[in-house]
Amino acid sequence: MANNEVELLTRALERQRKARVQAEKILEAKSKELYDLTKHLRHANSKLENLLDEKGDDMDAAFLNIIDPYVVMDLNFNVLRTNHSAKEFLGVDYTEESINLSDFVHPDFAQYTAESIQSLLKVGVLRNYRAKIILKDGSEKFVQINSSLIYDHEGKPMAAQGIIRDITQEKEIESLLSEQRKELDVIVENSPLGIVLMVEGQIVKSNTAMQNMLGYSHEELKQIKLKDITANEDMAKSESYLKEMKLGKLDHFILNKSYIKKDGTKFLAKTSVSAVRTTEGEIEYQVAIVEDITEHRQLELQKEQLLKQLRASNKELQEYAHIVSHDLKSPLRSISALASWLAEDYADVLDGNGVNQLQMMQEKIEGMDKLIDGILTYSSIDKKTNEDTEVDVNQVISEIREIIFIPDHVNVVIMDTLPTLMADKTKIHQLFQNLISNAVVHIRKKDGLVKIHGHETSTHWQFSISDNGIGIPKEYHEKIFKVFQSLETSEQSTGIGLSIVKKIVDLYEGEIWLDSEEGKGTTFHFTLKKQLL
Amino acid sequence: MDILFIEDDAIETMKFQRTLSKLNSKHKLIEARNGEEALEFLQSEKKLPDVILLDLNMPRMNGIEFLGKLKQHDKIKYLPTVVLTTSENRDDLLECYKIGIAGYIIKPLKYEDYEAKLKTVLEYWSINELVKA
Repeated sequence: MANNEVELLTRALERQRKARVQAEKILEAKSKELYDLTKHLRHANSKLENLLDEKGDDMDAAFLNIIDPYVVMDLNFNVLRTNHSAKEFLGVDYTEESINLSDFVHPDFAQYTAESIQSLLKVGVLRNYRAKIILKDGSEKFVQINSSLIYDHEGKPMAAQGIIRDITQEKEIESLLSEQRKELDVIVENSPLGIVLMVEGQIVKSNTAMQNMLGYSHEELKQIKLKDITANEDMAKSESYLKEMKLGKLDHFILNKSYIKKDGTKFLAKTSVSAVRTTEGEIEYQVAIVEDITEHRQLELQKEQLLKQLRASNKELQEYAHIVSHDLKSPLRSISALASWLAEDYADVLDGNGVNQLQMMQEKIEGMDKLIDGILTYSSIDKKTNEDTEVDVNQVISEIREIIFIPDHVNVVIMDTLPTLMADKTKIHQLFQNLISNAVVHIRKKDGLVKIHGHETSTHWQFSISDNGIGIPKEYHEKIFKVFQSLETSEQSTGIGLSIVKKIVDLYEGEIWLDSEEGKGTTFHFTLKKQLL
Repeated sequence: MDILFIEDDAIETMKFQRTLSKLNSKHKLIEARNGEEALEFLQSEKKLPDVILLDLNMPRMNGIEFLGKLKQHDKIKYLPTVVLTTSENRDDLLECYKIGIAGYIIKPLKYEDYEAKLKTVLEYWSINELVKA
């Protein structure tokens, strides 16, 4: 080996030795540093632990001061601690008597509570436990509890803490709402009207009536388009209404339109659509109420038809009455003329008996003429020929006084101020004239008196016409209102007067009746309905 | 005064004749038994009457139809026409006045009353200025 080589190796060895010493020195220093650090850390750690304990106490205090009831219990439900609010809420003080929370749980919630506790023990927290509890005073409350476990130093659960919220009112509102919802559902479901709720023209909800009407199921209706159930001819009308509603020009519309059922048949329905808008005015929902009026419309048409027929036949009857009366009256006039010419032209040859017979003939003719007039009047009463006007009954009576024959020994007296009615004057005239004539004619006493009374009831005007005449036997009180029923055979009486009276009273939805005593007099009472007057 | 009396009933015509004769007047009576006959007369070359007395209920052409036809002819539509009828039908009365009449007389039951009424009518028209066409 060369000297150079040895020299080199020796130097290298020396260098290595020095480096090792250096490293040992560094290692030693580092070890010390580490030891110091550990010591320091240990100190810091214990300091931290204390800090943590203190913090725990602070949190406790915070819970104790919160408004919601706060309870700490051991795992057997025995209360260890409560805040003031919990004391108030539960109505017991844990410092005075021992409280076991399991005593509070409503029997209905025992099972649920047991399951909840299991879950709490397993997971460590329990959120949103909801149950009914019974307080010491017997009152029931609904509570919601959020709870968590508290562990000891070894990490074993030793207690549970929880915050209680009284949700009794919330629950009540909830149940009330669901009750109302149920009621509303009952109404909607049992409604004979089809009801649908639409969002943007699409059905989202429909009731049974609607489904039955159209023959689609609820699910099918949700898919249906307006044009699928609307008859072609009504589509444009429907759309234009909906458009106006969308533009905010319309909040509600009613439309009679034809619907197409699933089986293709159609029905006519009255459709009433309302928009439910958001506060911004956008349409949130549309509610449509659909009423099948096919039958209704048919009945209406039928009614119209019947009315038309009735009107026509009434008019025919009216004309018929006029023709008959004319055709009966004309020959009467001829007979009357011939009889009077006989009496005039053959006065020389007629003896007293002949003159008398011709006279009787004239009286019969006169009676028959009156009868024809009476029938014509009677048959015309239904007819609303004249417009209703103001009719002063006092005036009517004084007109009648001038028209009819009142013997000198009879006085017709108005006892009350009579009202002014809204009615057909001719009919009111006929009514009073017939009754007053009857009264006047049947007085045989020396001092005849016909009294007219009138007063108001809540619904009717009531009048009475009394006389001190011969009176009407009880058995005729009903009969006299029937057509052609006369109590005496005379040319004065056709037996149609009271029938006319009755018919007019009926027309004005009134009643007519009488009090009468034979030999003392008769009082006719009648009423006429106000709102019609 | 020339009177055109349109009436289908013979006794009615007798009543009017009797009334006229009692008046001892110089009125000339032209009789027609229905509307057609009356129109025929009016459209002939004969002298027109001064007054027409018209019954409403007649066979073939009734009084109201006659009135309507009368008013269609310029030459005769001015003739004063007095309706003489038993009909108290208000519709008839209104219709007649609507078409245009000079009076509407209801025939009373008794002949004496008839005579009195007709006497008044004739007297009234006698003192009127007439068309005399």
